[in-house]
Amino acid sequence: MTKLFLGLCTAILISGWALASPPARAGDASAGSDVFKTECSECHSIKEGRNKKGPSLFGIVGRKAASLPDYQYSDALRGKTDWVWTTDKLHEYLSQPAKQADPGTKMKYDGLSDAKQLDDLISYLSTVH
Amino acid sequence: MLSFLHRRTPRRPKKMLPWCGLAALLLLASSAAQAIPAFARQTGAACADCHAGAYGPLLTPYGMRFKLNGYTDTDGHGTKIPLSAQLSEYHTAPARGPSSTALTEADLYVAGRISDQFGGYAKVESDYAGHNNTYNTRLTNLDLRFVAKELKLGGKDFTLGVSVNNSPGFDDPVDVLPAATSISPSGGSGPTGTFLSQASANSPANRVIGANVYGLYDSNWYGEVGTYKSLPTSTQDRLGYDISGDPGRISDTGYFRFAYMKDMKRQFFSAGLVGLTTKRQLQRIGPSDNLTDLGYDLTYQFIGNRENIIQLAYSNIMERRKYGSTPASPTVPGLIALPRGVVHDETLTATYTFLQSYSLQVSHLRSNGTRDAVRFGPFGNPDTTVNLITLYWTPFGKDDSFTSIANLKLAASWFRFTRFNGVTNNIFGVPFGVAQTKPGDLNAFSVSASLAF
Repeated sequence: MTKLFLGLCTAILISGWALASPPARAGDASAGSDVFKTECSECHSIKEGRNKKGPSLFGIVGRKAASLPDYQYSDALRGKTDWVWTTDKLHEYLSQPAKQADPGTKMKYDGLSDAKQLDDLISYLSTVH
Repeated sequence: MLSFLHRRTPRRPKKMLPWCGLAALLLLASSAAQAIPAFARQTGAACADCHAGAYGPLLTPYGMRFKLNGYTDTDGHGTKIPLSAQLSEYHTAPARGPSSTALTEADLYVAGRISDQFGGYAKVESDYAGHNNTYNTRLTNLDLRFVAKELKLGGKDFTLGVSVNNSPGFDDPVDVLPAATSISPSGGSGPTGTFLSQASANSPANRVIGANVYGLYDSNWYGEVGTYKSLPTSTQDRLGYDISGDPGRISDTGYFRFAYMKDMKRQFFSAGLVGLTTKRQLQRIGPSDNLTDLGYDLTYQFIGNRENIIQLAYSNIMERRKYGSTPASPTVPGLIALPRGVVHDETLTATYTFLQSYSLQVSHLRSNGTRDAVRFGPFGNPDTTVNLITLYWTPFGKDDSFTSIANLKLAASWFRFTRFNGVTNNIFGVPFGVAQTKPGDLNAFSVSASLAF
């Protein structure tokens, strides 16, 4: 009985912790591919080493900001030495106008206000490596 | 870029039957392709980023922004060679007359940015002359720009630029005006077509020089004003033009263009106005004709995820004319030309593009105007109706294709006339007993291969 009680308490605690923690990004990478084509593909390529007006997004998730050696980043982004493009960072950055997220950036983007599309996009970018 | 049925008349062999000459013109006109891979190398973008079918001239909203930014955008990766070339081979089968196959056009583009503020391009075009395998070489398109980007006006983004170009409407960012699309209604005998139409007789296209100041406010509102002056005939001759196509001396010329453009990423629409007023001495001496063009245009694009793209464009331009002289009819005693007139040019184009590679384009072109028995022969009626249907395939020029910065265009085109010189039969008004020509006799089918690199 004591074991059952302890087990239930553990289950409740784990469930409570899980519910209290920030929601995981649960986007649809397949749908995110379409979002990428619509929102990003004119200025960014997902091919490794292929820069357009913006840098290649190959392996972007987990990459240190302004770290591609063959792309000329803005001074503003080069100054963000502590930025790493985690999914959370990408979410924060892409959900608002780029000039607001990083004043001085070269990137011209108004931000993606649709939360689902943003999750889908980031899920897709996570697969590009 | 070649436009529909324009500027070719002087080259028509004198002994050729009228319908033969027109069919040959149709062949040349159908090569109105425009691709400048030097821009793709400069920006790192694929051809398909700027052109829905990965080959010009139809622009995507991204391509429009590139044009508005003075062709100066870059991938920041050093200076690129600002040269491109295009070769076009055509086989044409006119409804009447012999079929022909020829390398019809070879183009050289000098295109690129000089700095963040200066960019542009110039095109030198060699066209098959149709006899003795000779080619005529001319300076055709010219668009040099200065642009100041990322300005603020009332807290909103503002772009200010200057375009020096050689054809009114060629610098249109929406890419719907005749000079930008190279599609405009053809005309019959006489001064048919508006001044802004590429197809009008003695069109100003590439034979004038002008400077326009333009601004883009809040990414949506476009405004432009400018003026043009015709090049001296000696300069036209040096640039490779037959002076019989001289647009005449134009003066007091004013041009404006306003448009509202809305890019919603998956869709785009625009509504615009265009106007031009000028005084023209067609013979460079004597009284001037006063011409006032006023037009409106609408465009819509469904872009989606780029797999199925639909582009619709409509333009309607009206021209009011106050003629400087009223000549008498050479054939009917006592009949004189009208002192005023109005002409209209209308173009409706629908394009569907699948996978940025397979396109079907259908255009309906119509020109009409005030009846004038002296000015418009043989029936005094300038009305013409034409359809242009083009199917083409462009295998490259996409991010995931063999090359993203060059392309091949394989196309099949069909020109179909339903009205010419205002009539649907005996369009040249020959007497009874002489072989008559129907509008359909001007039709032509062509297949072509164009290579841009």
